Amino acid sequence: MRFKNLLIIIIILTGGVTLSAQTWVVPDDQKAVVAPFKFTPDMQKQGEQIYLKNCQSCHGLMGKDNWAKLTPPPGDLAKEKAQKQTDGELFYRITAGKIPMPEFRNILPEDERWWIVAYIRTFNPNYVQPNPAALASFTGRIVTLAMQYSDPMKKIVVTASEQLKDGKTGLAAGVEVMLFVKRFFGKMQVGDIKTTNAQGLAVFEFPADLPGNKEGYVEVTTMVNDPKSQMKTTPATASFAIGAPTDKPSLTATRAWWSTRGNAPVWIILTYTLSVLIVWGFIFYILFSILKIRKLSNG
Amino acid sequence: MNMDDNKLTLEKITSDLTHHIRINKGFLIWMGFLTVSLLVCLYAYSIQLKTGLGVAGIRDYVTWGMYLANFVFFVAASLIGMLISAVLGLIGMKWLTPITRIAETIAVAFAAVAGLVIVSDMGRPERLAYVFLYGRPQSPILWDVTVITTYFVLSLLLLFLPLIADMAIIHRKADSLPSWLKPVYKVLSLNFTDNPAQNKIINRAIRILLILLIPAALSIHTVTSWLFAVTSRAGWDSTVFGPYFVSGAFVAGSAAVIIAMFFFRKNYKLQDYLTDLHFNNMGKVLATVSLVYLYFNFNEFLVPGYKLKRADAIHLQELFAGKDAILFWVVQIGGLILPILFMLFRRFRKPLPIMFISIAVLIAAWFKRYIIVVPTQEHPFLPIQHVPQNFIHYSPTLIETLISVAPFILVLIIITLISKFFPVIPLHETARERGIEHIKFD
Repeated sequence: MRFKNLLIIIIILTGGVTLSAQTWVVPDDQKAVVAPFKFTPDMQKQGEQIYLKNCQSCHGLMGKDNWAKLTPPPGDLAKEKAQKQTDGELFYRITAGKIPMPEFRNILPEDERWWIVAYIRTFNPNYVQPNPAALASFTGRIVTLAMQYSDPMKKIVVTASEQLKDGKTGLAAGVEVMLFVKRFFGKMQVGDIKTTNAQGLAVFEFPADLPGNKEGYVEVTTMVNDPKSQMKTTPATASFAIGAPTDKPSLTATRAWWSTRGNAPVWIILTYTLSVLIVWGFIFYILFSILKIRKLSNG
Repeated sequence: MNMDDNKLTLEKITSDLTHHIRINKGFLIWMGFLTVSLLVCLYAYSIQLKTGLGVAGIRDYVTWGMYLANFVFFVAASLIGMLISAVLGLIGMKWLTPITRIAETIAVAFAAVAGLVIVSDMGRPERLAYVFLYGRPQSPILWDVTVITTYFVLSLLLLFLPLIADMAIIHRKADSLPSWLKPVYKVLSLNFTDNPAQNKIINRAIRILLILLIPAALSIHTVTSWLFAVTSRAGWDSTVFGPYFVSGAFVAGSAAVIIAMFFFRKNYKLQDYLTDLHFNNMGKVLATVSLVYLYFNFNEFLVPGYKLKRADAIHLQELFAGKDAILFWVVQIGGLILPILFMLFRRFRKPLPIMFISIAVLIAAWFKRYIIVVPTQEHPFLPIQHVPQNFIHYSPTLIETLISVAPFILVLIIITLISKFFPVIPLHETARERGIEHIKFD
């Protein structure tokens, strides 16, 4: 019993040090951040889909306590530890990440990150959403992006428009925009950040050799670069046939060393199976002859 | 030789080789100590089961830590059964008779536990069967579990077959035997009456086993080496890893056999059967396999040392003069070069000195596996930012250490039980070699 206590103390000492070194403090100004819109059932449903795709592999199913066994433990977000945090804290953690939790800043757009918060909150019956940062009192710029592929120029033209104070829409100059192309793991930035000109235009060159799908389509997204969240922005996503058409057969489509179990080379299957059969054949032969020893007794 | 002599000698041999088969105080204390230690280690393992592999020091860089070093060591030590019984036995070296069962016992114990060692490195041990259910025939991991299982069964059979005749003698002739054990031996003896038909079956089965044992044993350690060598990591990316591991295995196994011989001889009073000659010869065997291993060590370090590919250069620098240098040189000099030099002299091949040399060799053999497995992983190929310190510097935790000690305790328990309840030295064969041609069974 004494040894058990000693062990527990040692575990707490060794484990405790690692845990305390990994406390994750959210800056105060980020804690106070509130969602820019009122959560709707539709957003919660969308949030669930995003959660299942991006979060569930570590955090498990909500309320089921079946998170992955990691250090530090990811925890169940339906539980008090997550629910007692402010919306701003949850949003910040999703956005910034901290090893081993990935940062979703460039993986999910801002809206989608908020939808996850909306979904997490559905597991808290006592939750009352704080007033959204009301658009009416918002004094910053409200920018909407659009995007086109210009064939003769072989370039992507991003148009930024903004909502003016009188309710009309005008072209937005001086907005920093970024271009991303969807790759297998997340989004890859194309070119540098560009600033829109007086006509609200920013022009991106698109590399000709970037692999697209069979027809050469790639999914392109443009976003406003607004690290301090001073604007309300709407990104744009579109598919253009501007990538290099790529139709490589999958590496695991044929029989090979590196392929899947179903596509193992025949000679490996044969060598393995025959070796096992031969050796175990002898083993069973010996086992049967051992049984015979008994019968051959003189007595 | 007349009947009386025959009887006398056989009774003397039987008594000499079986008088230790009884439950005495020393045995109970020793087993009690082992059991308590094992329970402590199992408690540590229960924490790992509950909390996950995070309780061990292994992280994203060093994912194969002490557990894998342990695994390689256990597979290595189990190989000795093949060297002693199969290779040297098939050549026809008669002096080996009293050592074969010790070697087989060690082989069975280490092979049985090696499979468990690998489970200690699994975060989800309940998925072990997935290796067979979903394993790819291209993967050395599937080959590894296959050959280790096979080798264990072969070794177990090779341990059992020569025991049949011994059991038959013991349950009839050994008077000192506890009465409750006699029926057990009677069953195990399979009504053996030393008739030609029975002997023919046993001899043929043993011969088949000895021949199968050679490829099986070579496979288990070659495949274990492939777990490393099929990657392009510096320090593992080598085409001679198979023979390098196999020769290293013979070193560890021979040392283990010598240590076991020493303790059995002393505790079970077997001085007339395990003589200075056996220690001398085993010393020569150990020296020989150590020289072969030294040759592979030169090969393993000299060739990449000349080419100095970038990753190799970093790895070798850390080993020779960096943070692993002290461990590296102590192991290479203290566990290989000095023992070889000592063993060249006959006086160091006497029982006591050769036992101490073997202990040094065996400890070094464990750390040698650690050097092969761990240091290279501390240099990742992919540059990653904001890496926590404990990714870069692997240090085993207490729980991890306790879990790594458990297999050693298990091996000691298995060896103790086998050696305590069966003759350590083959009885029937020894009797035959001492001129008792036919044993009368009534």
